[in-house]
Amino acid sequence: MPIENPFQDPLRFERRVPECAVVIFGANGDLTKRKLLPALYRLAYDRRLSAGFAVVGISRTPMSDEAFREKMLEAVKQFSEDTDFDESVWAGFAAGLHYVAGDIGDAALYQNLATKLEQIESERHTGGNVLFYLSTQPSQYARAAQGLGAAGVSKGKGWRRLVVEKPFGHDLASARELSDRLHESFDESEVYRIDHYLGKETVQNILAFRFGNGIFEPLWNRRYVNHVQITGAESIGVEGRGAYYQEAGALDDMIQNHLLQVMATIAMEPSATFRANSVRDERSKLLRSIRPMTPDEVRVNTVPGQYGPASIGGKDVPGFRQESGVDPKSQTNTYAAVTLSVDNWRWAGVPFYIRTGKRLAKRVTEISIQFNEAPLHIFDHDGAANTPNLLIVRIQPEEGISLKFLSKRPGSGMMLRPVSMDFNYGSSFGERSPSAYETLLLDAIVGDATLYTRQDMVEASWSVVEPIQNYWRENPTEFPNYPAGTWGPAAADAMLARRGHVWRKP
Amino acid sequence: MGTTIAPEKILNELSDLWRDSAKQELSEGGTGVLRACSMTLLVLAEAGEDTQDLGETIAALMPEHPARAILVRLSGAGERSMAERVYSQCWMPFGQRRQICCEQVEITASDAALDDLQSVILPLTVADLPLIVWCRSQRLIAMPAFRAIVQMADKVVIHSAASPDPAALLERAHNAAGRGVMLGDLSWTILTRWREMLSQVFENRQNAAQVAKVTKIDVEWGGSRYVPALYLGAWIRDSLAAVGVNAQLQISRTADDDHLGVELTGQGITVKLAREKDRMVVTLNGSSQCTNLREPTDYMLMREELGIVRHDPVFERTLASASQLAHPIQQ
Repeated sequence: MPIENPFQDPLRFERRVPECAVVIFGANGDLTKRKLLPALYRLAYDRRLSAGFAVVGISRTPMSDEAFREKMLEAVKQFSEDTDFDESVWAGFAAGLHYVAGDIGDAALYQNLATKLEQIESERHTGGNVLFYLSTQPSQYARAAQGLGAAGVSKGKGWRRLVVEKPFGHDLASARELSDRLHESFDESEVYRIDHYLGKETVQNILAFRFGNGIFEPLWNRRYVNHVQITGAESIGVEGRGAYYQEAGALDDMIQNHLLQVMATIAMEPSATFRANSVRDERSKLLRSIRPMTPDEVRVNTVPGQYGPASIGGKDVPGFRQESGVDPKSQTNTYAAVTLSVDNWRWAGVPFYIRTGKRLAKRVTEISIQFNEAPLHIFDHDGAANTPNLLIVRIQPEEGISLKFLSKRPGSGMMLRPVSMDFNYGSSFGERSPSAYETLLLDAIVGDATLYTRQDMVEASWSVVEPIQNYWRENPTEFPNYPAGTWGPAAADAMLARRGHVWRKP
Repeated sequence: MGTTIAPEKILNELSDLWRDSAKQELSEGGTGVLRACSMTLLVLAEAGEDTQDLGETIAALMPEHPARAILVRLSGAGERSMAERVYSQCWMPFGQRRQICCEQVEITASDAALDDLQSVILPLTVADLPLIVWCRSQRLIAMPAFRAIVQMADKVVIHSAASPDPAALLERAHNAAGRGVMLGDLSWTILTRWREMLSQVFENRQNAAQVAKVTKIDVEWGGSRYVPALYLGAWIRDSLAAVGVNAQLQISRTADDDHLGVELTGQGITVKLAREKDRMVVTLNGSSQCTNLREPTDYMLMREELGIVRHDPVFERTLASASQLAHPIQQ
């Protein structure tokens, strides 16, 4: 008796998406309204979800299914920026939206959830598959997982997966403790730690660029690469999230997860296959190859920063300590720059500079790979001849790849000038790119964990970051040390200057 | 109209076009134009076709499938003559500073000049990138010059439902596919959403477990839906046969001019797909669900076909079956 679908046509049809229920803890929160529901609606709009699809929202506020639908309707209308609102698509989608009110610490919530899931299963034939999405305060992750486990909801006749948002702990010990507690109810293979940076089209394109082409990989090593700069800059401040942000800081909020994952993607060895564990093994190996620093190394290879007040374009902007909800003596880093070394044959001796910060000169996330100069400058009468070749992978705002090289200026004489060859992802292919959450939610439903972070990767990242955290805590810097709207503290420039390098100004 | 055209001249005009576009862009404070190209798209159409409409379709395809587009307009009988014009299709992506441009060449050729077409097109194709031919002229398909064009192409896209003799065209297409020609047929592409909807029904494991019970496939068509009906019936029958389910296929015509519908039946299972205006209604054992299904435009169909520059085994298998079905069935 065939039980496989005989009508599949992978060449033309979108990826097979199994029927399932998505249970969102924190359904009343910002992430659900701004990202998750709009992403799910877009997937429905694109007919990417199966007919047997349902969402169960969970939060403390008592609400009927109908009230929840109304609320989500508003969210979808407000935050689906590039998707038309279609009444009939919404009607079909909304029919699968349900709500259960309760406290994460209350066992009754999970019994009610189990009943709701049974009801949905019989009405919508979700195949018993459930994706739990923890969009709550991080302190609630373990309780929610344990609640699901205790009520027997974490196992069932279909598959069960648990999506967890960052932060995954606040240091190595807490990350391990969180994993241990999640593992009491879910296997590691069922835990999907989401890092939305990895869902961005360009980050995925790094893999295609490196391992789909034959011409770049031979250059991708210490012999040809002089150094690598990874920048994750934001022009905005903490925007009302001061209270949260001062507990995290730039190092924990950006470098420990997003930027180290980006670095792992740019520097990892080719994986044998494009299967999830194969790719994640290589990422993990690279993260484990980053040399943890001694306190003396932290002193010269890292720079914390905090922005002070400034006038940007005639508008006065507050310093971090003047932001609402922030301690006026806060020692939180709103900027972090680190020089990392990778102890493997490919990258030994090549510095990886990573910087991130709030209230920097512009919003940009990019990776810049600077190649060694030509061994002999035969055009040395022209200063441009010293301009290095750069390969720039832009992650946002305009996703794309640029290669900078020297070219002869038109006309007589041998004058060189740098030129840029650009591949712009959005414009070279005019098709809309899916949002990171669309990509990652679909991956989780399909069971593809390639772009999700595994426990060993989280621990390896904390092993890199923890010595820096400790040193900064024990050796406070005098803050603020950079005015809002600039490219960060002067000490960060000095850090690169010691190796004869300068930060790019993207 | 001139009697001949020189490809070298067209190439020079294309170079001039880029230079002018770049100069203009830079003089307006821009950062230059970005050339984008992933293929050569050769569109063969009758001169009587609405040029503006077709031009808009080609332009709409460019952002996703940037191409050097060559539009050949067939002017019909008359003395041997050919003429050309070169222009660019530019757009500024929303929120971006750089203009993206693609090249377009329009060639008008009389029937008597068609034998020269290959020698003009060949030098104009972009090196190292595929040449996709979209033949909208049913008249040309039957002419000897078409064979020479097919030989140059990496993929040829036709629309067999628009042919005055679709059964004969299906047979020719099947023979061409047998010779290794990579083909696309918009009459098949029209069915992708239908097929996807049917497939989705059987994504559910409970439904998939019922597949073996299907004993009958009824396809009904009206108006110009004959070829899609053949394809749909052949595809369902073959897909079931591939998992050992032999169902009886019945294809019948209805009076409704625009009708296409399919029903799979067996003990305890009935799946029905039918179009109702802009909706697809999927009925499973009496329970119906609707989804949007607008009548696909040429743009939507070509967008899909240009994304598949490789052999499509499901289509080729179905083409073979549809071609066999076409002859015994009387329209």
